[in-house]
Amino acid sequence: MDQVPPVTRGRQVRSLPLPHRCNNPRNPACAHCGTVIIPSPAAIMPLEDTPSISVGSWTIESRKRPILDTPALSQWESEHLPGLGALPEMIFGGNYVRIRCDLDESKHWDIEFNALDALREVPTEDSGVRVSCASDWLRSKHRRCDGAPPQIAKQYDWTYTTRYRGTVTGCPLVADTTAELPLAMLAKPDPILFFDDMVLYEDELGDNGASMYSCKVRVMPERLLLLARFFLRVDDVLLRVQDTRLYVEFAQNRVVREWKRYEADYNEVFKRHRGGVPPHRDLRALLRDSNWVVDHLPIVERTCETIQL
Amino acid sequence: MELDQCLEHLYKGQLLPEITIQALCFKLKEMLVKESNVIHISTPVTVVGDMHGQFHDMLEMFKIGGRIPDTNYLFLGDYVDRGLYSVETITLLVTLKLRYPNRIHLLRGNHESRQITQSYGFYTECLNKYGPDSRVWQYLTDMFDYLVLCCIIDDEIFCVHGGLSPNVQTIDQIRIIDRFREIPHDGAMADLVWSDPEENNGDNSAGLVSGRNSFDSQQDFLLDTSQHFQVSPRGAGYTFGKSVVEKFLRMNDMSRIYRAHQLCNEGYQIYFGGLVTTVWSAPNYCYRCGNNASILELYSKDDYYFNVFGEAPETISYLNNPSVPAGTGGGSSITKVVSDYFEGDNIAGDSLSEIGTNIDSNLQSRDIDVFSDTYQAQSASGRRVEYFL
Repeated sequence: MDQVPPVTRGRQVRSLPLPHRCNNPRNPACAHCGTVIIPSPAAIMPLEDTPSISVGSWTIESRKRPILDTPALSQWESEHLPGLGALPEMIFGGNYVRIRCDLDESKHWDIEFNALDALREVPTEDSGVRVSCASDWLRSKHRRCDGAPPQIAKQYDWTYTTRYRGTVTGCPLVADTTAELPLAMLAKPDPILFFDDMVLYEDELGDNGASMYSCKVRVMPERLLLLARFFLRVDDVLLRVQDTRLYVEFAQNRVVREWKRYEADYNEVFKRHRGGVPPHRDLRALLRDSNWVVDHLPIVERTCETIQL
Repeated sequence: MELDQCLEHLYKGQLLPEITIQALCFKLKEMLVKESNVIHISTPVTVVGDMHGQFHDMLEMFKIGGRIPDTNYLFLGDYVDRGLYSVETITLLVTLKLRYPNRIHLLRGNHESRQITQSYGFYTECLNKYGPDSRVWQYLTDMFDYLVLCCIIDDEIFCVHGGLSPNVQTIDQIRIIDRFREIPHDGAMADLVWSDPEENNGDNSAGLVSGRNSFDSQQDFLLDTSQHFQVSPRGAGYTFGKSVVEKFLRMNDMSRIYRAHQLCNEGYQIYFGGLVTTVWSAPNYCYRCGNNASILELYSKDDYYFNVFGEAPETISYLNNPSVPAGTGGGSSITKVVSDYFEGDNIAGDSLSEIGTNIDSNLQSRDIDVFSDTYQAQSASGRRVEYFL
């Protein structure tokens, strides 16, 4: 971008002749390049970052807080999410990414990604997925209990799979399967003015794998891209990735939201790639990396929506 | 190689050569094979929960709780996986156990297992640090098979990594388990390191029962989480309720249970009015949870203190150092390998005096002014921004 001033040394902090502005002085803009500094250079306890940036009529804001404490957890459990038998171990309930467009003085449109709304979309019925040793385990219990089946505590989707694609306030997006993300625009090496990366919730599935909903956003001078990813790995059973990509073209006030679901059998993927991994890398480590996994799973479902504000 | 010399290197965050680790594991197995599945110790003792390879936090914990041998420690397991320094963490604990066998006791956690460590980072870390041909992971996981399962403090406090098992009514039943093996998928040994307490959730169990008009009491009995062991919806693993705990304590003449295994934001969590307590000792778990950790200092059986602590300052500087990713809890990305420490040196030799590089050396200077222009420019340029698609 032309307006970015050259890097200067020394103490002076220039006034920024830039079309964007930093909204939170605790997460200041870099005096040298004008991008918002995350994590905040100010030491604050408890850990908290609430950086924010505005470009034209768009404002992007994020917050990172520690995992919920016990009182908050029990409140979520009893009031907000009574259908879930157990909540994920790590809920970053104070985290969010919020993208807001001020259309005029009284009217705005926004979309937010947060843990509570994501968990509200976790099904409260049995997902049918079982850990790899489940059949052996249950069989051995049957034998011991004289045929009386052991009681499953509570039925809910213990993998915490959610179809959450963000919480929209204002006009909903409209399905448009022909729409595509403008990859050419996103591949341009525009300067990144704002970047943040956070987890909304995470569970280790009792050490049988991992379930995680994470969110990252990059803001460039003319557009932004947000990727919200649900990643599920049930060891020896299942790999699943559900990606929501939100694209905003600031000048045109145009939003595209694409959702893709990738899924495959864990052992099939493992077998297929066992030979192809160099000996110093171990395949199980790659299977923990959602970026590697998503490149090696087939797409099973895709939707796309747009809105012109 | 002298144990004290090993300790000196380990406290500085240096890795030991493979052959030393082999010898340490062999010696520890010799010591542990004589131990019963259930060991008896007495207060004063400090109880430590999961550490998960957070080496700098463990050093911080020794500063807070007192060094060995000045303080007695009982570790409840889960030394490895997830954190980036599992090798440093477990080798330090092994060496301390050999040097001061009566001052430190190590229980087995569910991560002290071949299968789990392959999925959660310890295996990958061993390969990264010692090279693909090393056997460090084998030595350490073989040693894990010898770790004891439970500990009883002052004849009345039962300590275990996970919790209770429907296959275990009495502590004598634990004593007869053949523990010298990989942790099995089911049975008493698995339950002891895997199971979780489930606090009575009045609303839910009431809902389940009242939802049916004609119920047989057997079923209701089984459905009440507070009363019984229940199967997790995952299809394996138990949760245990209050009555199970009360029965176990009564039958075995115990007063309460300390266990680890579950993350809690405050560093510890009390269940069933104090009958079961979780102790968690990994602050800012996985370098991103922002949780507190604690150690439980038992002065006598009825006099104790939860010493709560946060993340070590060293860990924080690692996080601000962009060369170390605040990863996803998966494989270690530390690229320093053992040859960096033993360049041109015959590592089979007994002398380790040549060990040079200190992992921490570049972070020793704590006097960083985070508000300085230099720091901020550096921090801004080093920030992880990513042209993800």
